[in-house]
Amino acid sequence: MRSPFRPYTLPDASVLAAHKSLIRSLERRGLIRGGLSLGALVMLTGCDVERPESVESALLAISRFNDRVQAWLFDPNRLAPTYPESMILRPPKFNAYYDVTEVKPVDGTSWRLDVAGLVAEKRAWTLPDLQALPQRSMVIQHICVEGWSYIGGWTGVPLRTFLERCGADLRAKYVSFKTADDYPSSIDMATALHPQTLLALKYGDETLADPFGYPVRLRMATKLGYKNPKWITAIEVTNTYPGGFWESKGFPWFAGL
Amino acid sequence: MVCRLMRRGSLLRASLGLCVLAIGVGPAAAQSPTPGGMPPPPGMSLAQSAAMRFPQPVRVGDLLGRQVLQPVESQNVLGRVRQVVREPDGRLMVIVAFGGLFGWGARPIAVPVDAMVLLGQDMEIVAFTPDELRRFPTFAAAGTHVVPDDTIIRVGLAKPSH
Amino acid sequence: MRETMRPLVTAGRPLHPLPLRIMHWVNAVVMLVMITSGWGIYDDDVIIRGFHFGSFWRLGDWAAWSLNWHFAGMWFLAINGVAYLVYGVASGRFRTKLLPIRPAEVVRTVVDTLHFRIAHEDLTVYNAVQKLLYVIVILAGIAQVVTGLAIWKPVQFSGLVALMGGFQTARVLHFAGMAIIVGFLVVHVTLALLVPKTLLAMLSGGPRVGAQVSDKEELVR
Repeated sequence: MRSPFRPYTLPDASVLAAHKSLIRSLERRGLIRGGLSLGALVMLTGCDVERPESVESALLAISRFNDRVQAWLFDPNRLAPTYPESMILRPPKFNAYYDVTEVKPVDGTSWRLDVAGLVAEKRAWTLPDLQALPQRSMVIQHICVEGWSYIGGWTGVPLRTFLERCGADLRAKYVSFKTADDYPSSIDMATALHPQTLLALKYGDETLADPFGYPVRLRMATKLGYKNPKWITAIEVTNTYPGGFWESKGFPWFAGL
Repeated sequence: MVCRLMRRGSLLRASLGLCVLAIGVGPAAAQSPTPGGMPPPPGMSLAQSAAMRFPQPVRVGDLLGRQVLQPVESQNVLGRVRQVVREPDGRLMVIVAFGGLFGWGARPIAVPVDAMVLLGQDMEIVAFTPDELRRFPTFAAAGTHVVPDDTIIRVGLAKPSH
Repeated sequence: MRETMRPLVTAGRPLHPLPLRIMHWVNAVVMLVMITSGWGIYDDDVIIRGFHFGSFWRLGDWAAWSLNWHFAGMWFLAINGVAYLVYGVASGRFRTKLLPIRPAEVVRTVVDTLHFRIAHEDLTVYNAVQKLLYVIVILAGIAQVVTGLAIWKPVQFSGLVALMGGFQTARVLHFAGMAIIVGFLVVHVTLALLVPKTLLAMLSGGPRVGAQVSDKEELVR
């Protein structure tokens, strides 16, 4: 099966190789020019530059460094605090990059979960397939990068169990997700194998409601809210950095709690 | 770790950035392409607009005491949920202790549940502005029925506004 | 005898040695970065309902960039802060300049200030209120790092979060720490502008202090 993550046409790689030195000199020149014009702009306007490129790239470089620090701080054996079921907020808090009125419900009967990349068994999973796997429940705090939080109760298949059933290469770097709402996302393998990382099918004791990602979404106790894609349609195990929706707009990739 | 950071040359660029700050703070742009809690489109009934917001089951008792917010970045507090009642015509109304300062001097008003949404542990009024709410009559209980705590009703959702 | 009376003075160090001045100004810039980017993060989910910082006050044109500024600034703040604390303790500056703080002196200075008797002729000595404010702002800075760490890594440092009474309380404490630092800044900057020589001293080093005298001179005195 072809990976659903690969674009259909790729640019000819030899073009890049042929012009490598030119590209490098362009980058260098751009950096110097960018730095100079930034200084000039600051002098002239008292800084009404929203986000100069050089500042942006410096901040992103530090953010990538922070990703490595975060991965180093992440203890795969440390469990996030759990809470009594009585504290579960029903219904949970909704958030997306669009308002709730734009939610496009997914039909659970025709829904399939594609598996791709470094896995032994590349097949499409149905909802009953997932329901037949061992389930785990957790009542954990959902923490959003915006600052709010709530206690939520989630039930589903531990992602570790699922990856093992797929014969995934558990030494690969990334697990990447595609969703029905065009919200690509990816996580590190250490977090994917964490016991509090679930392919969630239920909230409380009820089937996941449409706005919260029916039929399957990711729920991790060790990452910020935006790392948890809803309406998952494909999973890929890969060593190539897959990025994500908010990550491409500037948010940190690791986003560990 | 720090040495590695310096070697990558990002320290220089970061300090350049710090200098930019010292001179001024850049203007801001809105984050969300679509803010949450938008009022219903003109011409649409409250019931129709509420139906677009994926109404979710919620226990009435879980609504009582919740803060009621205005769907704006500063999350202005409009009041608190006091009660849910059913009007003689069957409409569900949320009785909000509206206005006042930290609850002092608030008066109860009846807001249609279809004009409100759930936002996590809070509620928002999306279909009326604070000015419109100020003109709402003070709620009179006569003829209405208090909806018991254990009743499950459906309330629409919104994403946070910012 | 006359020879021993001659004070054997060697030139002292500036009131604010160069490393201290560098750390002060690095901190000034980094603190501004942390505070204004923090306001940008705050605005995404306000803590005080009804209150948000306008876009003018925010560093970063939206939350992701405020966050990136904050998480870049934190390294500069922490490294500079640790260097400052080590320097302050090792050089004895904290002990000689900031201690002791006697409550009676604090009260007297406050009363004097209310009568517009602000003594600032001698830059080398801090009055009791100054000492108190500097100690408070240093402690607030340390507290910001601790509460910040709790908010950044509430699972890895879950014990710290529990100690603070939960994630949301940690957020409120982090906000309160900012408010204390901003309060200090308002007073600090106002006074520096009212008594410009203090500002100049932080740039040039100020008067020379700590002149060395010989042992014999000590005995005579």
